[in-house]
Amino acid sequence: MSQAHHGHQGGHGHADPILHPEVQMSSGRGYFSGFLISTLLMLIATFLVSSHAAPPFGLLLVITVCAGISIIAQIYFLLHIDISEHNIWNTVSLVAFIPLFVLTIGLTWWMFSQLYLRTMPPMPGMH
Amino acid sequence: MLVDLPGGWNPLLGRLAWSQIPYDNPILAPLFVAVVLGGIAIVALITYYGKWGYLWKEWLTTVDHKKLGVMYIIIGLVMLFRGFVDGMMIRTQQAWAVGPDSSGVFGALHGYLTPFHYGQVYTAHGLIMILLAATPLLVGFMNIIVPIQIGARDMAYPYLNALGLWITAAGAALIMASLFIGNFAHNGWFGYAPIFEIQYSPGVGVDYWMWTLQLLALGTTLGGINLLVTIIKMRAPGMTWFRLPIFVWASLSANIIALTSFPALQVALGLVAADRYLGAHFFTAGLGGNLMLYTNLFWIWGHPEVYFVILPAFGMMSEIFPVFSEKPLFGYITMVLASFAIAGVSWLVWLHHFFTMGAGPDVNSFFSVATMLVGIPTGVKVFNWAFTMYRGRLTFTAAMLWALGALFLLLIGGLTGMMLAIPAINYMVHNSVFVIAHFHSMLLVIVYAVFGSVIFWFPKVFGFKLDEFWAKTMFWLFTGGTVLVFVPMYMLGFMGMTRRLDYVFNTNWHPYLLVMEGGIVVYTLSVFAFFVLLYVSIRDRVKNRVGADAWGTSRSLEWLTHSPVPFYNFAVTPHVNARDEAAWRRANGIAAVQPAKYVDIHMPNNTPVALYIGALTFVLGFALTWRIWWLCLASLVAIIVLMIVRSYRGDPGYIVTAAELERMEREAIARERQVDGSAGEPVVGGAPAVGRPAMAYERSDLPKTSTPPSMGPGAHH
Repeated sequence: MSQAHHGHQGGHGHADPILHPEVQMSSGRGYFSGFLISTLLMLIATFLVSSHAAPPFGLLLVITVCAGISIIAQIYFLLHIDISEHNIWNTVSLVAFIPLFVLTIGLTWWMFSQLYLRTMPPMPGMH
Repeated sequence: MLVDLPGGWNPLLGRLAWSQIPYDNPILAPLFVAVVLGGIAIVALITYYGKWGYLWKEWLTTVDHKKLGVMYIIIGLVMLFRGFVDGMMIRTQQAWAVGPDSSGVFGALHGYLTPFHYGQVYTAHGLIMILLAATPLLVGFMNIIVPIQIGARDMAYPYLNALGLWITAAGAALIMASLFIGNFAHNGWFGYAPIFEIQYSPGVGVDYWMWTLQLLALGTTLGGINLLVTIIKMRAPGMTWFRLPIFVWASLSANIIALTSFPALQVALGLVAADRYLGAHFFTAGLGGNLMLYTNLFWIWGHPEVYFVILPAFGMMSEIFPVFSEKPLFGYITMVLASFAIAGVSWLVWLHHFFTMGAGPDVNSFFSVATMLVGIPTGVKVFNWAFTMYRGRLTFTAAMLWALGALFLLLIGGLTGMMLAIPAINYMVHNSVFVIAHFHSMLLVIVYAVFGSVIFWFPKVFGFKLDEFWAKTMFWLFTGGTVLVFVPMYMLGFMGMTRRLDYVFNTNWHPYLLVMEGGIVVYTLSVFAFFVLLYVSIRDRVKNRVGADAWGTSRSLEWLTHSPVPFYNFAVTPHVNARDEAAWRRANGIAAVQPAKYVDIHMPNNTPVALYIGALTFVLGFALTWRIWWLCLASLVAIIVLMIVRSYRGDPGYIVTAAELERMEREAIARERQVDGSAGEPVVGGAPAVGRPAMAYERSDLPKTSTPPSMGPGAHH
């Protein structure tokens, strides 16, 4: 901590944005791969949904997996975040984020399934 | 156009037309004239005194965290006033429009506000009070105080800090523009689906509401990131985690909430925008939309948000009580844990805003229990404050009175909150003014803490104290207003009066509403007392000037540097020895020791880019509201270009040399000695007479010692 402070007062070696690890990690090929992977996955998901290629629950699973892969691809290729040492704060944020994500999505799912149980007529694909 | 819009649209002006200017409105037209005259007067005065250069150099382009904080607070106070006027209008309408025999003017059947206008007033009141009064006031205080309390020169990202301020200012400007151009939303500050959908609210009001919220969310998120990085990375040597002043802990927990929750709001509003602009159906009643999903998403942000605003207020109270009790804060560690417990639980309780949705007993019980859990850490805090004051040498200064008022209101608001956490009671009083009285008690905790802090930290920022008599007068008037408005409101809530009534059908409620109107009059007097307070204090500023330690019993690090705080905060970065550094140095007789040697310091340059981007975000919000597509595109492109240009140019900063620093320090010390004679010798050789081994490392000629500080962690209880 005190080192960070010294760094701020003194040399300013870290002030050059080109030296940031995220910038060092970036490359044209990486951006292109990230773009390509996420575009392909989006097209696949859109096609599957618009052509009703599977029963609703199966579609839900497939597009969830597509979304998951594309999120990971974007985080890695576009934002240059991995779990290495210089990304320690991103890792910390991720660890803090996961319980919040699970809580909000999980509790929302729970409250709305309970709500639908009481208020909605049975819909196709719902149990 | 992707959606059908009633009324005209043309490519040049979008939906903007002369008919959208409410020049025939008997309330808004005179107000507009007054605003224009006031604006002309201010511009004329600035020009007459030749202050444009000063304003530009010292304020509009500044990246100094203290000046940015002061501007945040000014925005907050101005919007607090606007929100208060909205509240006054609501109270007056309800005191007037009671029963079928009540008269009506200005086109209203009863009272003086038509239902559509009344809806806009309460929507604006809520949005302004939460996001444009409470939030900027608290962010302003965090901005000013946190870097000084941790011994930093500025925030981690000074330019980002300015950007956050100017985007917030753009949000404020956008909601003010809605007064005179078009209209504002009438769907409540949190918005109801599907009334905000384009079919039911075809005007621009909802768009104003939506983009104002988006801008404020963006500004607050940027501020939150900055504060978090500052606290984690910029602490002075020796400022270990458990020596952090408690206000810093409160800011840390609050900003973690802000950073994690604001995206939920932005997503929710983004989906509303998709509905209104692209014809999507996220929150419509049919076509696969779900009304309650909006409410759910909104409160996933909304509940953490209310703790985002209450936690810094708790931090302020925790700073004020010890100083005027002449004791260290009781239970520092439990205070920290309680802040983080509140922050954690804030993520588990949002359904209590819509218990009556009908999610069933299991869900309601879970959220009921989670909500009641909040009472435990809050109770810990209340008892800690009580034990801080217990057997202390209490001085009832104005700041202390405000903090005590906050404590009592917290008790009332907290206990009624416990009642509302019980679903059975919640079903009974849902949507009644009992709920309104409850959350006003809680938000008034913030207002009380903020006014306490204004008085408490004013001398640190400006170098002179506020007038005690007028500060106390304002306190008692404000408290009288609070009692007169909110006690009858609780009672009316029990009687079943629902919220947001523009016409009160039950004449039995009239006496209560009249008492509340009287309360508003008392509140108005307290506003006048505030103006007098400012006038009298500025008039007597020479008499009220203070030294570094304005209160004589101060505890944390910010009281070691000069008042007013120089732009570099500390001439030499202080070495922190104890949790209550100022108190520790005072106890060891080295509070006034000055550094023996100065070194060059590196400071960030001013920049107008943040101001330009803020102005452009206002243009973008305005263009989106009125659907002027070319202007949206132009302002967006301009923002992106400015950001790229600024990123390439960067900021090398500038150096304050040791000699300049020494000169400024000598002047500041000389000024301070005239006030209280407390400041020590500047820059002399040899160790001063210090009673005990001291650890003021920024002065190398003092004997270094490993003796643990007398008031280190754990020595408090």
